[in-house]
Amino acid sequence: MTEAACRVSGLSVVYRTDAVLVDVDLTVPVGAVMGVVGPNGAGKSTLVKAMLGLVRPLTGTVEFFGRSLGEVRARVGYVPQSSAIEADFPITVHDAVLTGTYGELGWWGRPRRAEHHRADQALDRVGLVELGRRPIGELSGGQRQRVLLARALVQDPALFVLDEPFQGVDAHSQRAIADVLEELRSDGRTVLAVHHDLATVQEHCDHVTLLNRHVIASGPRAEVFTRDAVRTTYGAATSDEFGGLPA
Amino acid sequence: MTVLDLFTDHTYRTVIAGTSLVGLVAGAWGVFAYLRKQSLISDVVAHAALPGTLVAFLVAVGLGLDGRAMPALVVGAVVSGVLAVAATHAIIRCSRVRADAAMAVVLTTFFGAGMLLLRHITDGPYPGKGGIQGYLFGDASTLTLADLRAILVVCGAALLVLVLCFKEISHRAFDAEHSAIGGRDGRLVDAVTFATIAVATVIGIKAVGLVLMVAFVITPPAAARQWTRSVRSMTVLSATFGAMSSGIGAALSIVWALPTGPVVVLVLFVILVVSLVAAPRRSIVVRALARRRARRALRESLVAA
Amino acid sequence: MSFVVGAGLLAVVTAVACALPGMFVVLRRDSMLVDAMSHAVLPGIVVGYLITHDLRSPVLVIGAAVAGLLVVLGSEHLARTGLLTGDAPQGLVFPALFSIGVVLVSTRATNVHLDTHAVLVGDLNLAAFEHLSVSGVSIGPRYLYVMLAVLLLVVVFLAATWPRLVASTFDAPHATLLGLRAPTLGTALMFLVAVTVTAGFHAAGAVLVVALVVVPGATALLLARSVSGMLVWTVVVAVAGAVAGFVVAYLTDAPTSAAMAVLYGAVFAVVLAVVRGRGRRQGGARGRLRALVATGHD
Repeated sequence: MTEAACRVSGLSVVYRTDAVLVDVDLTVPVGAVMGVVGPNGAGKSTLVKAMLGLVRPLTGTVEFFGRSLGEVRARVGYVPQSSAIEADFPITVHDAVLTGTYGELGWWGRPRRAEHHRADQALDRVGLVELGRRPIGELSGGQRQRVLLARALVQDPALFVLDEPFQGVDAHSQRAIADVLEELRSDGRTVLAVHHDLATVQEHCDHVTLLNRHVIASGPRAEVFTRDAVRTTYGAATSDEFGGLPA
Repeated sequence: MTVLDLFTDHTYRTVIAGTSLVGLVAGAWGVFAYLRKQSLISDVVAHAALPGTLVAFLVAVGLGLDGRAMPALVVGAVVSGVLAVAATHAIIRCSRVRADAAMAVVLTTFFGAGMLLLRHITDGPYPGKGGIQGYLFGDASTLTLADLRAILVVCGAALLVLVLCFKEISHRAFDAEHSAIGGRDGRLVDAVTFATIAVATVIGIKAVGLVLMVAFVITPPAAARQWTRSVRSMTVLSATFGAMSSGIGAALSIVWALPTGPVVVLVLFVILVVSLVAAPRRSIVVRALARRRARRALRESLVAA
Repeated sequence: MSFVVGAGLLAVVTAVACALPGMFVVLRRDSMLVDAMSHAVLPGIVVGYLITHDLRSPVLVIGAAVAGLLVVLGSEHLARTGLLTGDAPQGLVFPALFSIGVVLVSTRATNVHLDTHAVLVGDLNLAAFEHLSVSGVSIGPRYLYVMLAVLLLVVVFLAATWPRLVASTFDAPHATLLGLRAPTLGTALMFLVAVTVTAGFHAAGAVLVVALVVVPGATALLLARSVSGMLVWTVVVAVAGAVAGFVVAYLTDAPTSAAMAVLYGAVFAVVLAVVRGRGRRQGGARGRLRALVATGHD
């Protein structure tokens, strides 16, 4: 097996008395673009948060590039949903992106010209460089999502973890985000993204994990994205909508 | 003093009855502050009542009346309390300052104005100014029969509003949008809700003081919420908790010769802790046990698999 | 140093020391927690006094700051149980602690000069009364140097943690992921606020110290486009409000902290009106439209 950018084994999360995730095993090969899909309440966001140590799991381990997260923080970039941040916060677009460099600064380090330059470059990649001096409150939801993507880009990580990057995003921003993800793929970066839309996965991902509290199937898209597996994940009622999938 | 004295002695009876009424109404209306997720507005109202009571005092004295009579106090307190609520909501509505900071700004501004007036009154030649500082901590033993009558009238009115508008205010607390779609004027319902919360808050100032009124409004609903599932039963239980702990607290404060307000607050706090620990469905203990069971069951099923 | 200058300096230094950590309190939406904290200071001081029998002992300050932090952690714990909604958790702990303080004062410390009214209102002139002198020359109120030490502590804390404090306040989970220890930093910040509140409350009292902590930050929030801009506005509002409040109080012989609170409120109201007026003319929606045009949005 090739080196894994991320390996999750036996991960279970209990929220109060509900088992949100049960015994999740998952491997994201280096260079893969992995989509995690499942119905509402399948535990997709919880999976991401537990992997990144933001939610404490009951059992299981998560490794990034064969190490614990604490050892390789700089190599893991996270893009939350744009609704997760405070739109009213008094921070400019440029400064918000700049916070992506703070992990490497240490206690007494302060961002210098190099960091500011990287922030501008990252903003350029998502097409927002002209808006650098705006407060984030003046941006649309889609533009804010691009700012959060730029904040991960500035960190220059090897693995990008995205939580619903297309959720509530206008078509223009959606295209801009998709373009960046395509660049990352051709650049050999690994991407793990939660999606709620099966069509998105068809279009953008080469690996798929079908999740509904536990993993239904996980692997290269051609192998796991079958009608039966999707039916198991979502329940029979919606299966007709996915008639285009192989049986 | 015997226990019987508490019920036969005229002063004690007034203290216990007055405090219980205050607790009853604050407990009942506190439910709606709680459900609207703005419990702390009662702290704003209580502190903001100070300048109102003092202006009312000055006006009453100017008219040659008793500045510390309950009606003047209540009218002044309600006017400035309602103004403070309106100011808080206006700040939230038209700026990016959120509820917490808006409350803090309004509370301190009104209270600061109150302290300036207080200094003006204590330095000035006003008749009956003695004891006006008592509004800060209250003193239930100063309640007169006339005060009790005023409390009774105000509490009765507040409860009447509650009964008449129960459907509208609980609907809006539950789902503001749906209530508005149903054709209810949201701002009117809000105005009635928060104005009456202000009334229910300020009526207790003479008895327990403005600093601690917040506990009378917040604690009973927080405790009642643990035992109940409907707004109706929550309101009834919260009012009961409020009246009961105020009565018990007032009696204990007489027996132990302590200030009334703090003792009532401590009784309320005990009820809250008991509710959090012992309420059957939502008990912290029961929940922790259930959580541990669920975790163990999952662990075992994973090992078995 | 003359008494007036000393008291005026004390007002300004106290205002700035409270306002600086206060701007992060506003951003964290914990403003009413400061109100809760400042009330919990009373039992902290009383218990400290019962232990040391000395009203000037530093143990009192530590006891009060610990009590303040207890309210913060207690409220957070209550909120985490998920049994209470809205802001109720913040209003449940402090009245009980304050009541314990009042009961203790009226039973165990009746002979002490620990007047609950002074606790609520504070007295800047009283705090500024005792002057320090070096070889017979007054160098200002003793309490001014206490507040200067607190201000220094605040400035060092903010200077040391600025980038991570900004990142943690803006997006705590992301900052945690970067290894910036956002929760620890948050607790450290609230402890610092507890210390400033404890120190400030001698001069301003339990209720009005809340104004010193919250109002400059809230006013700055109306004006600022960035956190560093907010810092500048916070200091400007704190200094201007303190000076104006002190002068008004001095001229009218009014309590200083009350005058400061009222002037702070007035400054907030004026800034809000101006910002609203400007916003109406330019339009928040139009700002958003300009943002769209700038990116060639369709």
